[in-house]
Amino acid sequence: MADKPIQGEKRVFMTGNEVVAYAAMAAKAEIMYGYPITPQNEIMHYWTRMAPKYNREFLQTEDELSAGFTTLGGVLAGRKAFTATAGPGNTLMQEPMSMAEAMRLPSVVVVQQRGGPSTATVIYSQQEVTMTTLGGNGEGLRVVYSTSTHQELFDYTIKAFNTAWKYRFPTFVLGDGYQAKMRESLTMYDPEERGIELLPAQPYMGKPGTPGVDRPPSQYRNTYNVEEELYEVLQGYFEDYAKMAPEVAEYESFGVDDSDLVVVSHGVVARACKEAVKELREAGVKVGYFRPITLRPLPEKQLREAAEKSGRFLVAESAQGQLDRLLKEALFGAKVEMIPMYKPGVGITSEEVAARVKSVMG
Amino acid sequence: MIIWNENFAILLMEVRHNISSRIVEAYIGEYASGKSEIAVNRAIMLARGGHRVSLVDLDIVEPCYTLRPIKKQLMGMGIDVLAWETRETLGLGEVGNIMRPANRWALKRPGDIILDIGYGVEGSRTLNLLEGAGTDPDLKIMVVVNVSRPMTSSVDDIVEYIGQLGRVDALVNNTHLGDETTPEVIQEGAKTVARAAAALGLPVVATTAVEEVAEKIGPKDCMGNQVWAIRRYMPHTLW
Repeated sequence: MADKPIQGEKRVFMTGNEVVAYAAMAAKAEIMYGYPITPQNEIMHYWTRMAPKYNREFLQTEDELSAGFTTLGGVLAGRKAFTATAGPGNTLMQEPMSMAEAMRLPSVVVVQQRGGPSTATVIYSQQEVTMTTLGGNGEGLRVVYSTSTHQELFDYTIKAFNTAWKYRFPTFVLGDGYQAKMRESLTMYDPEERGIELLPAQPYMGKPGTPGVDRPPSQYRNTYNVEEELYEVLQGYFEDYAKMAPEVAEYESFGVDDSDLVVVSHGVVARACKEAVKELREAGVKVGYFRPITLRPLPEKQLREAAEKSGRFLVAESAQGQLDRLLKEALFGAKVEMIPMYKPGVGITSEEVAARVKSVMG
Repeated sequence: MIIWNENFAILLMEVRHNISSRIVEAYIGEYASGKSEIAVNRAIMLARGGHRVSLVDLDIVEPCYTLRPIKKQLMGMGIDVLAWETRETLGLGEVGNIMRPANRWALKRPGDIILDIGYGVEGSRTLNLLEGAGTDPDLKIMVVVNVSRPMTSSVDDIVEYIGQLGRVDALVNNTHLGDETTPEVIQEGAKTVARAAAALGLPVVATTAVEEVAEKIGPKDCMGNQVWAIRRYMPHTLW
């Protein structure tokens, strides 16, 4: 049996869903749990095609609730486990991932956003930002990477497993239907050959030794009898998260220092914004580009600096203000005008961004 | 009792000639191998050569990612496009994967017929739904292969993959890396596809390349295969 699906480095031409399946293989994920939903189906298809060859496993469950909970079962058993979903499947996934937040389980979920609410379209949107960053009851804590290219889908899927297992918060890779289905080239690599250490999974249950004698007992809970007990546990979680946030937060920006307006976007829309801002800057327009890569935690410090410097944010997203809401919370009190460019469930082109910037800047 | 006369013989020859000059090609292959792109370009190639061509969209797995958006453009080039109109499928939502009734009878149409069959191994079974697919004397089933796709990147992978597809008559080398395609990428693909074809005992009918790259390669690739210069139409279909 072949042990590695990727040997060395290779330039390849793929769809985003395939990239995720290969990246999970490269990250040494051991099992995928899933339930089909467009536009993420090929993640499952390609994972199941490769799984027997590379000694990995797959379980198709009866729905996304089950896919999420079985993913957590895999993690508790000490396996690198993941799942992938979209749209209404992501809605169902919030309950198990809320349990992952309660029990600090390093589950990895790949979301390929589709139109909403409900079944809506199978094609594309950025309308799952609020749910993916803040879903679940209680003040759940999680990490969300929003990718923009196939290369990033590969890089961040690998990174998501490491982040999850290092900090023990559920970690999401947030893509979308366009990224899922689009074809483009990227370099696939074996992360270890590049010097990226892949953190090993560790069992939560069934550890060696006698609990309470040789080691502390394994007690993972999502239920508490008294308020004070929950309060105390959560304080520890908030502290861990605050400590982690600056280590995990990532962003990409240029032209922010000398601009009168910054275009802020994430995911696939950032490609259009980047191109528009580059062209406008070449034409002498004082416009900058900022893209949070982590939507949770947000790169708050850098966002505030960009806001104070430029005084104006144009927020472009394929949703009715879901990124904008996150930004406003992070920027509260900063002197910045927020200008919306919302196209819920619809793609945004660089021409549209350029035209909007020009109309705003006069 | 059949009365054999000269006129009848001539008529029969004409009929035979018409049948044998009819081009009927079904393009199948790994998901995202470029089947639709090649089918579209092949239909345009034939239409420009003065042929009557029907281009048939047989992607019933994911009908929202198919030829529909460029249907009008292709019809403007004189091609009969057999595909759903977007407005005809409004209201079907995710169950929009109903085979268009006329497409089932596509092989009975006059002229050349190009079938675009979506979605890998599962898609190749769609061919069974066509009336006459099992008996059509001219039908050639072509597998489109892009060696830059990891699932079909080596001779062994290609041989294993094509083995799952059922009947196959020929291979098309569609190796490319999108905007990064160079003649070297395509030529390397041609070598790998040729080795796989030899192992399978199948011919390679062509190597494809976008016009700019095709110019650099010339009329034949390094394995002696005809080079089809193509244009990319499919990027206009998703957005």
